[in-house]
Amino acid sequence: MSEASASARPPGNLVNVDRCSKWYGQVLGISDVSWKLAGGIVGLLGPNGAGKSTLIKLIAGLLRPSRGTLEVFGATPFHSPEVRRRIGYAPEHEKMWDELTAHELVTVMAELAGAANPRTAAEAALAQVGMTSAMHRRVRGFSKGMRQRTKLATAIAHDPDLLLLDEPLTGVDPLARIEIVEWIRALAAAGKTVIVSSHVLYEIEALTSEIIVIHRGQVLAEGNVYEIRKLIDRHPHRIRVECDRPRVLAAALAEAPHVSRIELSDRGLLIETRDPDRCYDLLAEITLAKELTIDSLASPDNNLGAVFEYLTSERRA
Amino acid sequence: MSPIRTLAGVSLRRMLRGRALWVAAIVAVMPIGFAAVTASQRELGVADPSDVFGFVQLMLAVLPALLVASPIGEDIEDRAITYLWSRPIPRWSMLVGTLLAAVPVVWVLAIASWCLASLAGGNAPTLESCIALVLGGLALAIVAGAIATLAPRFGMALTIVYMLFFDLPLGVMPAAIHNVSVTEHGRTFADLKGIAETTPAGAALGIAVIAGVWAAIGLWRISRLEA
Repeated sequence: MSEASASARPPGNLVNVDRCSKWYGQVLGISDVSWKLAGGIVGLLGPNGAGKSTLIKLIAGLLRPSRGTLEVFGATPFHSPEVRRRIGYAPEHEKMWDELTAHELVTVMAELAGAANPRTAAEAALAQVGMTSAMHRRVRGFSKGMRQRTKLATAIAHDPDLLLLDEPLTGVDPLARIEIVEWIRALAAAGKTVIVSSHVLYEIEALTSEIIVIHRGQVLAEGNVYEIRKLIDRHPHRIRVECDRPRVLAAALAEAPHVSRIELSDRGLLIETRDPDRCYDLLAEITLAKELTIDSLASPDNNLGAVFEYLTSERRA
Repeated sequence: MSPIRTLAGVSLRRMLRGRALWVAAIVAVMPIGFAAVTASQRELGVADPSDVFGFVQLMLAVLPALLVASPIGEDIEDRAITYLWSRPIPRWSMLVGTLLAAVPVVWVLAIASWCLASLAGGNAPTLESCIALVLGGLALAIVAGAIATLAPRFGMALTIVYMLFFDLPLGVMPAAIHNVSVTEHGRTFADLKGIAETTPAGAALGIAVIAGVWAAIGLWRISRLEA
């Protein structure tokens, strides 16, 4: 994070979550979460249903904690309109008032948020997200990416201090994704605090190095993404290979010092290694030398769920 | 007042661009046809105004359901309210804003329908009957709004069910229970075969009490809703 953004940031914790839990009847949203946020961009990382949206909605003042306390700018957002005035929220779902044009929708939202000149603010916000040309079209005919951009415009139109972006990159094409990532980073550089959620690790890594890992309603890990990556990397990397002669491949791999475990099955083998790069190189060499036919090559660890399961088991240990 | 005005403006714009208003307008035409047919079947060629008024009241089962319960229920069910709740506005302003947009439309449709139906039936509408529709339309719009906050997914259907199987039947019961019926108080206020032994002021008070109870339910519910 730049010095400029750090100096523009107000002192103290903006968000203070203290032993916060939320249930939806019998269903757990988040459980006993404690977390403090001073500023910058923070990524909430977790699989679908982990509790990311619940935490964001609690911070936005849409939900009340079932237990514990949650303060934003020193007050409870659910009860404080003044706090909500300083928050910009872009929800995960796409449903909005489809009968309105993007310009009307963002203007109304800016007006409700107390913007001094809602029309001008809406036009500026839509321009920021690249929606100027489509702003007089009705939302009903928008693509998923255009809806995402419009949602982002509703979140920023009233110039909030804290932005809550729930899965903002979902459904966005690769080019728009780059633009949105750059745009979010620019907001943070201008002194805004941004909380952004995603279930895709590389999306979060593109935005920030500060992350919180949430799984099953609990904070599993918190801090710098590299520390969390190190934590993840301590876990042996797994590679699943399906080939015509798995026993030949297994025999050749068994001698490699970085391969810690090989599990054979009829269709292939599961390799555990502490050095994935060297292991992939070795696999290529063996395949060429032994003239093997590889049907598939996949790393179950690339699935975020596997990482979360690993972090959960670390926690239990 | 600002958020209420803004939300009323949005509700009106959405209504004008949606289909509900057209459906409501078609429903509002039906009493005119009913009055004309009834009048043509009578010897004097004049329809009984209380029958025509009863048909207009039946229409009031549908208009608030379409114009109030449906948009409120949809906004809650589709989670469009998450946009509103995250703004620094009182939650009740969503309910009041929708009512502010829809109630005048209900009034215009109901009174126009009643006046045209009266003329088609060979009668002249009285001022009292028009005021009764104004009071009834407001009260039933509040009922529709409250029902939509209680059961968003079925707000429109439940409002119609409430009117057809609760308000209208109880209103014709020869017992004190008819006092919980908006339509019965409306008939009494309009002096069109009401069975309640009360004055027009008493009928107006009865409508106000029913509307007040439902308003309290709706406001309580919307303050507790989580998005």
